[in-house]
This record gives sequence, structure tokens and C-alpha cells, in this order.
Amino acid sequence: MRKLRVAIAGLTACSGCQLSLLNCEDELPGLLEQIEFHYFPMALSPALLEGEYDAALVEGCISMPHEVELLQELRRRSRYLIALGTCAVWGGVAALRNGEDRELLRQQVYGLNPLACETFNPQPLQSLVQVDAAVSGCPPEKDELLRLLAGLVRGALPVSIDYPVCTECRMRENLCLLTERDILCLGPLVLGGCGARCPSMLVPCEGCRGPVPESNMKEYLELCAQKGFGRLTVLERLHRFCPERKI
Amino acid sequence: MVIQFIADHNLEALLERLRRYGELHAPVLSDDGVLRFAALTQGETSDLSALRTLLPPKKYLLHPQETILNYSADTGYQLPVEVAPPLILLGLHPCDLAGINYLDRIFLGDEPDPIYAARRAALTLIGVSCIPDKFCSCQQMISPLKALSDLFLNSLDDGFAVTSASLRGDELLEGIKDILEEREGEMPEDSRRFFGHVVSEQLRHELDLTLPEWQELADRCLGCGACSICCPTCYCFDVLEFSGLDGRSAVRVRQWDNCLFKSHAQVASGMSFRKDRAERFRYRYRHKYRGFGALQGVPSCVGCGRCRVVCPTGIDLRPLTERLEEVRHG
Repeated sequence: MRKLRVAIAGLTACSGCQLSLLNCEDELPGLLEQIEFHYFPMALSPALLEGEYDAALVEGCISMPHEVELLQELRRRSRYLIALGTCAVWGGVAALRNGEDRELLRQQVYGLNPLACETFNPQPLQSLVQVDAAVSGCPPEKDELLRLLAGLVRGALPVSIDYPVCTECRMRENLCLLTERDILCLGPLVLGGCGARCPSMLVPCEGCRGPVPESNMKEYLELCAQKGFGRLTVLERLHRFCPERKI
Repeated sequence: MVIQFIADHNLEALLERLRRYGELHAPVLSDDGVLRFAALTQGETSDLSALRTLLPPKKYLLHPQETILNYSADTGYQLPVEVAPPLILLGLHPCDLAGINYLDRIFLGDEPDPIYAARRAALTLIGVSCIPDKFCSCQQMISPLKALSDLFLNSLDDGFAVTSASLRGDELLEGIKDILEEREGEMPEDSRRFFGHVVSEQLRHELDLTLPEWQELADRCLGCGACSICCPTCYCFDVLEFSGLDGRSAVRVRQWDNCLFKSHAQVASGMSFRKDRAERFRYRYRHKYRGFGALQGVPSCVGCGRCRVVCPTGIDLRPLTERLEEVRHG
């Protein structure tokens, strides 16, 4: 059987999503039997785009002209283009200050030194190209990555999740941080799939997987208000991982 | 009448005896304040008067996510081998017993589910009487479901009256004979009396889709899924298949679903039979209070109150019952 030909690229991000894949040490030898990681600059050299790919997995958001070129090139060469992680899907933390003056932000970080390249407001992948599937998370769960790759070997895209973090939290028979402990937990608004990793450790959901479809913001804000959390506090928290989404 | 009585001071001995028949599970209050059915280890006691565990006993019969088929290119699809060691569930209130009775009707009916059947056969059910609180509604809604158990402990002042309702119960009773005493007395009533009734024909009437109440419920629902996860009779599941990394195997899993989720009535083309949450609430209400399919006229709500306790916005479907009656009678 022909191996699945895959490209894995990182744009503006921390490389944590790609690292999550490299951390699947037990499974990597098996993966290599099914998949040819042809382009994967973080793990392989030389890194040259060549021919067509069955799938391109792209981490990070776009914030520089050469990323635009790379993304368009990957799109042209790939049957499926998959957004890997919250930055690629929603903009993520890199897009946190998109509303502000970029020149001022640049000076805060780099002083008056000239930048090596031009940058612009970080954007999620789908603002530029068609995205066939998305795996959210900061970073995505290891199991999700493995399921994604195993599915692609069989020609299948992942099934998107439509339920919030609360669902898996209650499946684990956890107490509810929001209603029973009065802790600001974003669980009801945020996409599940993480197995309620944080609330299970009594850490409130910070929203790293982005918004769930059909979230009921009005009622959630109402509930938070009853608990003493103001609208702005909630929105700011929610803004952290998907600033590009209008709430 | 003569009552088989077990005194409070003999309860520890009772737990010890029960362990001979299998792993003993009962409601256990965890350090973080959650009451859960869990293994009762040696020396640990269970508060049998505590009303409701967060998850109902259905978690022993249907796991939140579980493999239902294994696929390999050589052998095709095969049922997983279900190893279900004997499990004694102690401290089931009548609503939870009725919940298991409902699941039995679904999963052991015309086409028994082999995984469920294996787990169910390994369960010994020991019921305990209770005093309903403000969230309970067993006393308000007479259910055709039966609160069946192997043994039942009826709370008295200084212990429990013990009765058996099955062959397995008889066997257990025989095994604890020496810590029981015979007493003369009246058997108090318990919540089992709200179950096992013939229900009225009116449950078969259709519901008015135009009622404003459906939308009002939808506006308040956060879509968190807690109501069905914590419901003793909600059994809806989603079926997914995941390929193995070898490219030659796969597992098919089922996981708990919720009828208020977007994908619940969605089909392959992306089309959905119940696009908005208001329609989904009508569907949920029908299933919980009217029943449908082969179980039309059999409400699946057993009145345990869990959905009301866990709903972040306090949604309560019960007032709808009265409202619908009003509408029907003009």
C-alpha cells in the first residue's frame, strides 16, 4: 500500500502542536510505516516542498508575507488542509492584541530596531484558504492527533465535536466548578474533546479549544452575573484563545 | 407481621458478608464533596440515607465511551469480549431501580445488547428506602416502571427490614441469616409504591409544537449535556469509528449523547431533523414524559431529580406537564 504523503508546517505559533505529535514516541515507529512525513521542517531536514500531498497539517496563524506564500503553496499541493491547534483554527494567543496599533506594539517589543520582515495582524488559516478539517486545542490532545492521522491513512477526515467541555466533565462525575464552587469556568462555552482535562484537576476551563457551536452567551453571562463575575471579566477570559471571533 | 430485621450495629457485618458475593459498590462521599457510586473498601461505610449520586447506576451498564466492535482486515468486525465480574450495588433508591428497569426494557428487549446483558447479569441490586426531598418527583408522577431489586432494605428506627425479591435475593438472605433477627412489626411504606402502575391513556396524546414554552426552555439551556449524562434512563448514544494506526484495524465506539446537542438529529448530508433547540426540547419532553416507539405511553422519567440539580440554569421540565394539560382541556 502506498504511504500517506504528509506535510506538516508551523506558522506563527509556539510549535507546541507539532511537538505534541513528536511526543507520541510510542506510536511514531508505527506511524512511519503508514505515513511519509515528506515535509516537516521541525523534525526533518532538508525541508523542501515537492509534488502533491495527501494532507497538510498546519499549526499557527498567519502574520507574515512568507507565511501567506507557504500556506497558499501547501493548499495548492494538498488534497486536505487541516488546521492544527487553536492558533490555526481561531487565531489563538498571537492574535490577542489585534485591535491595537501594530507600530506601537512593535516598538514595545523590539524598540526602534528595524524588523527583519513585515508583519500584519495574525489571522486564522481560514481567513486565507479553505480548511478541510480542524483539530482545536492548545495543544490538541495526543489521542486526537493519532486519530486524525490514522483516519487520514484510511482517507477519512475527523468528526467534528459539537458538545462543550461540561459534557465530558460530568461524564467524569466531577463537581461543577462554576455552579458548585462559584469559580469562573468557561466550560459551557468551550468545545469539548479534552476529556475535561483542567476542571478534573479543579482548574477552571480557560477556553483553549475555542467556542462550541450554538453557545448560549446570553444565559451564560446571566449565570456569571449571579455569581458576581461581570460581563467584561468573562469576555476578556473568553477572548484569550479566540480573539478573532466576534462575540 | 414478622420482619427480617438487621440492626444498625450489624451493618458493618452485612457489608462484609456482601463482599463474599462480589465487589461491593455503594454511594461514597468523596473529599471534593461529590457523592458517587464507588467501590466500598474494607472499613469504609456508606451513608445509605444520602439521596442522589451525581451519576446514576447506569454508569455500570453503559460506559460514557466504550468499544462495541473491533475490526481487523483479517477477521472483520467482532464483538469485544465482555468480562463482567460479579458486582453488588448497595444503596439504590427506588427511582434508580426503576431506571435500571427502563434500561433493561431498552437493552434486553427484542434484540438484547450483548455488552449490556453481560454486565447486567453480573449485577446484584440492593435497594434502600428513602425520604424524597424537594428535587424528587417520584411521588408526583406515578410510573409504570418497576422498582425491582434482589434485596431491599427498608429503613426503621434502629436498623432495616430486609426483604428479598428474587432467587439471588433469597440466596443473599440465607447467607446473612445469622446477623438478622426476626421482629414483630409493621412494614413501613416506601417510595417503591410510586412505581409499577398502569398509566393513563392520555400519555399518548401528541404535544403542541407551537407552545411558547419550548422556546423559553431553549433560551435558558446552555447545551452542557449534564441533564442526560446524569439521567438514570437517558441512553441515547452516538456511534463513531476510529481507525487503528496499523491501517488494518479499527474500533467502533459508542458514547453518551444528548438530544439537545446540534448533531443528535443530524444526518449524513448535514441536514437535521431538529434544527433548533426548541424542537429538541419538545423531543426531550416526549421521551421523558410520554415515551415513544415500542415504549409509547411509558414515561422514562423516574423522578430522581438529578437533571434539576445539575442544570446550571435550573431548567425544570415538570411544570410543562400541567401546562400541557391546561392546553389540552382548553
